[in-house]
Amino acid sequence: MNPKFFLKSLILTAVLVSAFSDFVFAQLERRLASETQEVELIFHAPRHLNLLTVEPLDEGTLHFAIMHTFGTIDSGIRNLYGIDNGANIQFSFEYAFSNKFSLGAARSSRDKFYNLFGRYHILKQTQDDKMPFSLSFMGAAGINTNDYGFLMENAPSASERSSFAAQLMVGRKFTDRISFQLSPTMAYFVDPRPEYFIQGSQNLYLALGFSGKFKITGKTSLTAQYIPNLNNDLRSNLGFGVDVEAGGHVFQMYFVTSPYLNEQYLLAGGNGVPGEEFRLGFNVNRVFATGKRR
Amino acid sequence: MIGYRWVLFIALLVSFGLNANAQTFKTENGQAEFLSKASLLEFTGESDQLQGLIDLDKNLLDFYLDLNTLKTGVGLRDRHMRDNYLETKKFPFAEFTGEIEEGTEIPVGQTKNVTAKGKFKIHGVEREIVVPGTLKRNSANEMVLDASFKVLLEDYDIEIPRVVFYELAEEQEVTIHATLRR
Repeated sequence: MNPKFFLKSLILTAVLVSAFSDFVFAQLERRLASETQEVELIFHAPRHLNLLTVEPLDEGTLHFAIMHTFGTIDSGIRNLYGIDNGANIQFSFEYAFSNKFSLGAARSSRDKFYNLFGRYHILKQTQDDKMPFSLSFMGAAGINTNDYGFLMENAPSASERSSFAAQLMVGRKFTDRISFQLSPTMAYFVDPRPEYFIQGSQNLYLALGFSGKFKITGKTSLTAQYIPNLNNDLRSNLGFGVDVEAGGHVFQMYFVTSPYLNEQYLLAGGNGVPGEEFRLGFNVNRVFATGKRR
Repeated sequence: MIGYRWVLFIALLVSFGLNANAQTFKTENGQAEFLSKASLLEFTGESDQLQGLIDLDKNLLDFYLDLNTLKTGVGLRDRHMRDNYLETKKFPFAEFTGEIEEGTEIPVGQTKNVTAKGKFKIHGVEREIVVPGTLKRNSANEMVLDASFKVLLEDYDIEIPRVVFYELAEEQEVTIHATLRR
């Protein structure tokens, strides 16, 4: 081709394109306000069955969870599958001081156990997978306030009633439906006495929690948890159930092998045989926004 | 045969002519708000990142909003809105493209009642809508647009959970306010 003609054609094309591009590209180009979007709602609530999750709270919000586990269902219809046997109840309040950090207090009825805990969210999964998972840390310190007066001078002191827990939570939303969380957890009892509602007699308990969620509809998910013990022969925790969001509440109904609702006691035994000794569990989660309302 | 130079010249004229008189007004920080007025709960969601273009020459209106920028003041509600209702991962934008029915003649200093007719798209569903509003020509280079319209969630396949009938209104009132500059 004649190079001069080629050059002319090129210039002409460029000018024509610029002249008419207004017609062709008249609309605005659709652009996202922020390139990296964080993955949200990996789990429905800061709790998933008995374990805490990577699900953060917004700054200034208060999360209230009331959690119950009833008697074993093998007690039959006469005891309404364990509901008559009375519940272990935990009230839990957690307040977010920032979008990453929250502090909470919980009280379980078994052993009248008070637990202070904090959660810190270190990493957040992003939609573009530059960060493939969310990572959070939980630390807890608790005290058993049961009356051990019958032990006379052998009654445990405050420090002997104490126990601690630490947990890492690695969560990922694999698809819109499926989320998983791995939770390596440790619990430490200063003085694990047989009078306490724990089964183990060692001080340190290690376990690896698995939490799973399978979303059926926008508001309902099937849930499961499995917490195998790593350094003892105690029976492991197994549970499965359903999460339902309704009116700003997250209701969690499940069958679980353990009556316990806090990390320390969850790890220190007391699990029933899966299938026969499941217990009915029921949590209600609610988040309250505090501060200014827009 | 028309010489190459002539074609080039005319094309250049057209090009400059268009650019010189281009009546293209734009904004990147328009306000968009929706009001959900249910029997027991009333709340609004707001964004100040409405992107818009009004081209008076071509009689073209083009607006879009990144729905991720909408905030209702309650973080969990925002997440539910994005995750369950608007599904912003799949459908991140609300879009309107249309024209002004009354024409685009607006003298400086005047406010004109206008009707925009065009396609509104949200949650992957596109529908023809008619939006009444006002256009105020502040100066040769500035216009203010105010408009409001109703969005029936059902029309856009946005499901309202029946269990929480009081939480979210079936009909959302959308209001936009934008200052567009040339």
